[in-house]
Amino acid sequence: MQFLTWLIKRLGFVILTLVAMSMLIFLLVEVMPGDVAQTVLGQSATPESVAALRESMGLDDPLPVRYGRWAGGFIQGDLGESLYMRGVQINTIFWRKVGHSVILALTALLFYVPLSIFFGVLAGVKAGKLTDSIISFFGLATMALPEFVSGILLITLFSVKLSILPITSVIPIGQSLWGNLHILILPALSITFVMFGYVSRMQRSSMVTVMNSDYIRAATLKGMPRGYVIFRHALRNALLPTITIIGMNMGWLFGGLIVVETLFGFPGLGSLTLSAIKTRDIPLIEACVLFITAIFVFSTFLTDMLYVYLNPRIRFKGGDA
Amino acid sequence: MKDFLTMLKRSPAAIIGISILLLWILIAIFGPSISPYTYTAMDMENQMTAPGQGGHLLGTDSLGRDVLTRIMYGSRTILTIALMTSLFSSIAGIIIGFSAGYFGGNIDTIFLRVMDIVMAIPPLVLSMVVLGILGDSSILSLTIIVSIAYTPATARVARGALLSCKGFEYVDAARIRGENHLYIMFVEILPNTIGPVLVEITARFAYSIMMIASLGFLGVGLQPPTPDWGMMVIENKSIIREAPWTVLYPSLAIASLVIAISLFSDFVNKVMVNDK
Repeated sequence: MQFLTWLIKRLGFVILTLVAMSMLIFLLVEVMPGDVAQTVLGQSATPESVAALRESMGLDDPLPVRYGRWAGGFIQGDLGESLYMRGVQINTIFWRKVGHSVILALTALLFYVPLSIFFGVLAGVKAGKLTDSIISFFGLATMALPEFVSGILLITLFSVKLSILPITSVIPIGQSLWGNLHILILPALSITFVMFGYVSRMQRSSMVTVMNSDYIRAATLKGMPRGYVIFRHALRNALLPTITIIGMNMGWLFGGLIVVETLFGFPGLGSLTLSAIKTRDIPLIEACVLFITAIFVFSTFLTDMLYVYLNPRIRFKGGDA
Repeated sequence: MKDFLTMLKRSPAAIIGISILLLWILIAIFGPSISPYTYTAMDMENQMTAPGQGGHLLGTDSLGRDVLTRIMYGSRTILTIALMTSLFSSIAGIIIGFSAGYFGGNIDTIFLRVMDIVMAIPPLVLSMVVLGILGDSSILSLTIIVSIAYTPATARVARGALLSCKGFEYVDAARIRGENHLYIMFVEILPNTIGPVLVEITARFAYSIMMIASLGFLGVGLQPPTPDWGMMVIENKSIIREAPWTVLYPSLAIASLVIAISLFSDFVNKVMVNDK
């Protein structure tokens, strides 16, 4: 039962965070200078038409009323109407772009998780040797690069020099992403560059700790083959902090997508967010930012749960959770 | 200080990092006055010339502007803004984080909850939303907004550093002497947390460079014609096949500067925190 109480408490906090988040985002965007109605109609609009539009959009209502209307719509799955593209429901464009971004994020995960775990383990096992120094330096360097810099390096190599992958990752009109999967490779690799550093460094240091522990020494002294000790005994325990880092970075990943998608012109949530900001499309900005933060909050929550589930040292009494 | 130099001798990575950083600082100070061009001067006879031709060491962009000159001017703004944001966010973080950790109780709980919420918006997203809506990014607005976006993170570090010192006798001694809270926090405790604080400032410096470059790249940073490294990359991306140098050199400038600062920060971390 203790696990259930813990779960409910955590879920309550997640919901509380999301509510506070939504208020913060709403305030941030609505309080900013600039008249929305004026923006929509352009500088040449008469004061009368601006006032009429304000009236029809309900912009003159007090702030709490507007927040209530917005949040109420959000809970019912209504993201509102775009300001820049008049008459377009945000729902009709938003989820397709989110889908694209999720596919891109999953492709990146598929690339960087095995790569960074493999090289992290290798560096950890060879700690202090040349292999370790090279992997560690490479991790530090790639982690330090903004996504668009590693992206430019990849484009220069694969698109300009070798001409094997496209410079931009746009989906031709009338086609779907599924027929153009090769456009995912370079954006996903750019994300891999950044994430590789974080994950492999974490994997290395937890591997070093585990390899120096008594039970690994005992297993080695018993004469077990080294590969068996590393993969059957050490890796299982050394993976825990790595999984945490991967989960915690999911929110980060979606923030980083903005830069990557802009570089490659990929039609996802990130480039949608940027164009919403550039066109001052307030309802769309609110939807995008709230969605990005929701992903962060939920992935942190799921990571906590996974950690509890995987860590044998955390056990709740009275249940087998 | 002597300790610092001996350790430096044994760390080639740190020497490389510090040298590159110093080189960039020198370029930022003297570069623009050495260059025969200004950052807006358009050489109409030499548009998109390759590096080394027509008197342009790193070539020109589609408007015939000298890439090297624009990179040198760009180093000024990015170094200035990044240095200021890392300092301001660290100072703000120390004030907020110290107060929360020092007074504890409800103040601390509220602090932690608020920081959890603010930190759920990635700093890049927060900065670009505010800068984008404000519409007019200057050195000042960039500095203020990025500093604010980073403060929750620095405040958490500062709070942690203070908590590790809180229980010591010298703090109690100062309290019994009747010193006020401000004195205890900033005169007694602060000097003892200088290690983690310095590590945070140098790491923040590297993050700030990444952030400023990314904001410039997204078009919500400094506005044209001010040369900005990130902006140079996105401006010229469409001609990457014809004139790759217009994109590659600003990217390499960002890469070398951020990696140099990271190597430096890694070294500060080793000296100040790990080996004590």
